[in-house]
Amino acid sequence: MLLKLSLYSLFASITLIVLALVCYILVLTLGRSARRQQVNARVAHPSAKAAGGRTTTSVLEQPVETAGPTALAFTATRLSQLAFVFLTASLVFRAFETGRGPFGNQYEFAAAFAWGMIGAYIYFEHRYHVRTLALVILPLTAAMLIYALSVGDIANPLPPALQNSLLLTIHVLVAILAYGAFSVSFAAAGLYLIQPAEGRKGFPKPALLDQIGYRAVIIGFPLLTLVVVLGAVWAQIAWGRYWSWDPKETASLLTWLIYGAYLHARVARGWVGRRASWLLILGFAAVMFTFFGNLFFTGLHSYA
Amino acid sequence: MTQVDQRPPVESEARESLDGLDTGGSGASVSVSDVLDRLWRFFISMRTGLVLILVLGLFSLIGTLVQQAPAEILTDPAAYQSWLNSVRPKFGGWTSIFNALGFFSIFSSILFKGITVLLTTSILACSVNRAPRLWKVAFHPRTRMGETFFTHAALKANVLVPSDPDATMEQVREVLRSNRYRTIIDPEDGGLNLYADRFRWGPFGTVIAHLSFVIILLGMFISATTGFNESQFTATVGQKKEVGHGTGLSIEAKSFSDTYNPDGSPKDYSADLVLYKDGVKVDRKVVQVNHPLTWDGVTIYQAFFGVSAMMKAKDAAGKTLFDGSVPLVWSTKDGQHSVGQFNLPNKGMSVFVIGTASGKTDPNIKAGQMQLEISQEGKEQPIATEVVSQGKPATIDGVTYTFERTRQFTGLIVARDPGANVVWVGSTLLVIGTFMVFFFPHRRVWVRIRKTAGGSEILCASTMKRDVAFEPKFHQLVTDIQLASTPSSTTSSSTTSSTITTKSSTTQEVGQNDAT
Repeated sequence: MLLKLSLYSLFASITLIVLALVCYILVLTLGRSARRQQVNARVAHPSAKAAGGRTTTSVLEQPVETAGPTALAFTATRLSQLAFVFLTASLVFRAFETGRGPFGNQYEFAAAFAWGMIGAYIYFEHRYHVRTLALVILPLTAAMLIYALSVGDIANPLPPALQNSLLLTIHVLVAILAYGAFSVSFAAAGLYLIQPAEGRKGFPKPALLDQIGYRAVIIGFPLLTLVVVLGAVWAQIAWGRYWSWDPKETASLLTWLIYGAYLHARVARGWVGRRASWLLILGFAAVMFTFFGNLFFTGLHSYA
Repeated sequence: MTQVDQRPPVESEARESLDGLDTGGSGASVSVSDVLDRLWRFFISMRTGLVLILVLGLFSLIGTLVQQAPAEILTDPAAYQSWLNSVRPKFGGWTSIFNALGFFSIFSSILFKGITVLLTTSILACSVNRAPRLWKVAFHPRTRMGETFFTHAALKANVLVPSDPDATMEQVREVLRSNRYRTIIDPEDGGLNLYADRFRWGPFGTVIAHLSFVIILLGMFISATTGFNESQFTATVGQKKEVGHGTGLSIEAKSFSDTYNPDGSPKDYSADLVLYKDGVKVDRKVVQVNHPLTWDGVTIYQAFFGVSAMMKAKDAAGKTLFDGSVPLVWSTKDGQHSVGQFNLPNKGMSVFVIGTASGKTDPNIKAGQMQLEISQEGKEQPIATEVVSQGKPATIDGVTYTFERTRQFTGLIVARDPGANVVWVGSTLLVIGTFMVFFFPHRRVWVRIRKTAGGSEILCASTMKRDVAFEPKFHQLVTDIQLASTPSSTTSSSTTSSTITTKSSTTQEVGQNDAT
C-alpha cells in the first residue's frame, strides 16, 4: 500500500518537474524582451524602518531574471518545490514500508540522487535567484527518476553487507547531499562555459555562475570527504579492509581528487574561470561515473 | 584565454594572506643557481600541487577502468600469469600493453608511489611555508588598514551617523560583539580603527586537512608493511584451527548458518565462533557480516562459506597420514564443482578433493561422493583419479582414503592492522579540517571612524576571498551598525541624516598569489 503511494508520488514528482521546466523555459524566453528595458540598480538604500529585514542588494542576492513574467516565474518555483515535496513523500513512504532509509538498491539510490539534485537546486534558487540553473538540473532530475523507474521499484531485502542501518543511512544520505550540490556546480559551470567571456543576454553573469559553482563545491566537498571516510569505516567493518581499491572506492577517490583539484585551481594563476569550470564538468562526470559505475565494472559494491 | 574573474589589482593589504596553504611564495628574488631554493619553490607552488592531484586522479581513473589483479597474487608470478590469461579475453591485444605499463596493479606501481611521495612532499612544504602566516593572521592580525583599502576592498560600506566618533566606536563594537565577533581597537590614530573577526581558527583547518592526508598515507603504509590479513581463513564446524602469525590464537566454529529470503537472495551468514589464546578459551561470539569479533587487536570477519570434506588417509601399515577437514574453497571455471586440497607430506603426495558445487549435479559424482585426484606434489598430471563414497575406504597407490562426511565451513578474514588506527586518526582530522575550512571561514572586518560636521562617518571593509557566503552577512552587519548608531527617536523621520552606501564586487581575488 505504502509502496504504491510512494510510486504515485514519484510519478507526480516527475510530472511536476516537467511542468516546472516548461515554465522555466517560458520565463527565460519571455523574460528576454522584458529585460532589455530593465534598469539595474546596484546601489541599495535600505531604509531604517526595515529593521531586521535584509534590504541590501548585492549581485549575489539580486534577482537576475526579474520583471517580465513574474507570475510565471513564481509558478515555476512553486512547481519545483512541490515536485521536491512529492519526491520527499515518495522516499518517506518507502522508508516506512521497508523499515529502513530509502537507500537500499539502485531504484532507491536513483530516486534519492534526484531528491538531492532538486533539493540543492531549490536551495540555490532561493539563495541566488538564478533560475536558469533549472534548465540543466531539472532535466537531469527527471532523467534520474525515469532511470529509477526503468530499473524497477521492487523493494528487496538488503543483502548482508548492507545490513548496517546506521552507516547505510549516513553514508548514502551524505553522498546524496554532496551529489546534489555537485549537480548545481555542474549546471553553473555548464552555463558559464556556453557563454562568451563578457556574458550573454538572458543568462546569469559569468562571475555569478563562477561563484555559485564554487559555493556548491564548498558545500559538496566536505560532505564528499565524509562519504569516503564513512565508506572506509564501513569497508573495515564489513569487508575487513578500509580500502581495497575496489572500483567504486577508486571512482569516489577520483571524484574527490577532481573537486580537490578544482579548489586548488581556484587559487592558481591561469586556472580560474574556464579551466576551473571544466574541472567542475569533469567532477560531475566522475560523480555520474561513480554512481553508474556498476553498470560497467564489478566489485564489492555490486549492489549499488 | 579570457579571465573574467580577474579584478584589477588592489592594494596589497587587501589580499594579504588570507586562509589557505595554497598561496605560497613571498616573491623574494632568488639566485637561479640555488637548487635547493628552486626545489622549495617547486614544492610550494600551487601549480605543482594541482598537477600532482590531477595525475593522481588519472591513476585512479585507470585503476577504475582496468580491472586490478588481486593483491595476493602479485608476489606469485605463476598465479599472476594465470590471472593475466583469465583477463586476456576481456582486454585482448591490450593485455600485454597494459601489463607492460603496470595498469593491472597500478596502485602498487613505482610511478604511483613516486607521485604519492611527491604530493606528500608538496603538502609538507606548503604547510611549513604557510603555517607562520596563518598564525600571524589569526593571532597578530593587522588591525589597521590604509585608506585605499576602504575604497578598493571587495566588500565596503560607508555609514553616516549623528553621534560623535568615540560613542560611535562603542556602538559599532557592541554590534560586532553581539554578532560574536572578536573586536580589537587599534590605539593609533586616536583609537578610531577597529578590527573584528570570527572563526580565526578556521584557516588552520587547511593545515589539519593537508597534514591529515599525509597521516592517512602513513597509516596505509603501516597497514601494508605490518600486521597481517588472512583473507582465506576457513574454519570447519567442530574443528579448531590455529590463526598463526605469532598470535597464539585458535578459532573453532561451533556452528554456521546461512539463511535466505523467499526470493533466494542471501539474508544472513552467521558463524558461532570460539576464540582460544594458547589453548584457553578467551571469547565467544556469533560473527556476522557487519559484526566482526575483535580480540587483542585481531579482528575476525565473516566473509564466505562452503562445504568441507572430512577426510582420513592411512598407509598400508595403518598409520594415520591425514585426519581432518578439507574445505572445498575453490570452484572450477564452469562453476560445476567445488575443489579442496590436502597434502601427504610423508608421501610427497597432493590430493585434490572434488565435489559437485551447491545446487549442481554430476552423474559421475553423486550425492555422498567425492572424486579424489592424487598427484605428486608440484606436478599437475594426476597419477590416479577415483570417486569415493561416504564411509567406504578406498585404497589408491598404497594409501587408504576414507571420505567420512561433509561439514560446513565458514570462510573468515582474520586480520591485524595497526595502520588502521592511524588511518582513522587521519580520516577524523581530514573531516574536521575540511569542515573547518569551508564551514567556518575566517571572517574579518575593518572599521574606521572619521569625524564629520554632523557626527561620524563609519567606513567598513572586508575581503571575501573564497567566502562568497559572507557578502550578505557583511551587508547585514552594516545594516545593524547603522541601526545601532542611529538614535531611535529620529529613525523613522529622518532617514536622511543617516545614509548608507554599500558596494560589493562580485569578482574574486584569485590568481594573484601563486608562488611562481
